[in-house]
Amino acid sequence: MDKLERYLDQVCRSIGGPRSLRQHIRQELREHLRDAAAEHRAAGMSEEEALDRALGDFGGPEQVRAELEATHGHRLLPVVIDKAMQWREKTMKAKWLWMSWAHVVLTMVIGLEVLFLTFANVFLVPRFQRLTHDGMIDSGALRETDVHWMPSFLQGLRLTGGYTTWLLLGAAAMWGLFEWRVHSENKSFMRLSALGTAAVGLMVAVALTAASLTLPFLIAMPAFARISAPIATEQMASIDTSVSAIERAIPNKDWEAMQENANRASRAADNLARVAFAIPAATARPARLTADELRARLDAANESLRDARQAIQAKDAGRLEAALREFRQSYGPVLEAAKKPEK
Amino acid sequence: MDSELLKGTLALLILSLLSRKAMYGYEIAATVHRDTDGAFTWREGSLYPNLHKMEADGLIVGEWEEKETGRKRRYYHITKKGREALREKVQSWTELCRAVNRILEKSDGQA
Repeated sequence: MDKLERYLDQVCRSIGGPRSLRQHIRQELREHLRDAAAEHRAAGMSEEEALDRALGDFGGPEQVRAELEATHGHRLLPVVIDKAMQWREKTMKAKWLWMSWAHVVLTMVIGLEVLFLTFANVFLVPRFQRLTHDGMIDSGALRETDVHWMPSFLQGLRLTGGYTTWLLLGAAAMWGLFEWRVHSENKSFMRLSALGTAAVGLMVAVALTAASLTLPFLIAMPAFARISAPIATEQMASIDTSVSAIERAIPNKDWEAMQENANRASRAADNLARVAFAIPAATARPARLTADELRARLDAANESLRDARQAIQAKDAGRLEAALREFRQSYGPVLEAAKKPEK
Repeated sequence: MDSELLKGTLALLILSLLSRKAMYGYEIAATVHRDTDGAFTWREGSLYPNLHKMEADGLIVGEWEEKETGRKRRYYHITKKGREALREKVQSWTELCRAVNRILEKSDGQA
């Protein structure tokens, strides 16, 4: 009787009006169909044949539903759902649609992969190689790792990039030959497989290129700190010398010399803040100051130097000494940090 | 028989049958089939929209009755308004038949 209930579902589900009305109509139609089927069975038909005959005599579900809807109105939601189901069934059977979509998507994936590889080859790899050549990326540090082959891979990629035109022409020729010579019923699937294989191959190349550009860069990053460390030391020495010179000039009230040294100390503090990550303690554990904390101290020290410069301009020795005290308070932890290099 | 002809006369048939006694849907369809020797070929499903429309118009009224077998059936009874409508429809039908027959009689032998 599942067949009967399915039929009644199709007929009754979108009839308008209250739920009780739909239930009554359903019950009435069910009784009719059961009576009809019973009569056909009595005439010698099998149960299934009798039901099929009864349903056939009753009429197609769409027709009966349309007539009942004309009398009672219809519900919008089931109508929308029915339309959606019809669309879904129709779409799912549309082999050409799915095949076309698969072709378009794979072609887009291949296009994007080629675009990335071209971009990497033209813009990223040359810059990466220049950084390596200039020593910004420590190639020595890479030799001891599992990724030592990555710069060679990038070099290979650049060399291959020189043959891009020939590679594209070769691919176009192969595709043309395929379209011309292959007449199999599975031609679409073969084309799809070829596109899929090309997409996977290019994806591997993309992944390797991206990894080759980022991993060596990250592994060789300590080289930046090493390069910047002398700059930090130089700036700290400049600050020390300038502040000492100011302190020596205070008894003589040599305001000009004090102004010059205060300016120099301030510039050096600015520069030091930019390479705060290179101050050894910034990377030393456990009791370490972070680069941000060091920058905060340096900003405070610089603020004190600014006060000192204003005091020098005002030729106010008392205010100058107070500013220098504040400077030492802020700058002291930076000096301490510099004395504790990482072991 | 032409199902279009039946469509126009279905209300007349239903009212006529219900004027004899109260009937449920399948009984109406089976009676039409039996009394006409199967001359009317129609979709039984189209009976119910007609019944419901006539009920909405107040020509008939339906009532559920539960049988001893446990099955429920909706019996339709003709109303007073339905009887009046039946009289009018019978009269119209008789006039139509007479008019059509006159034409057919005059055209007899020329088909």
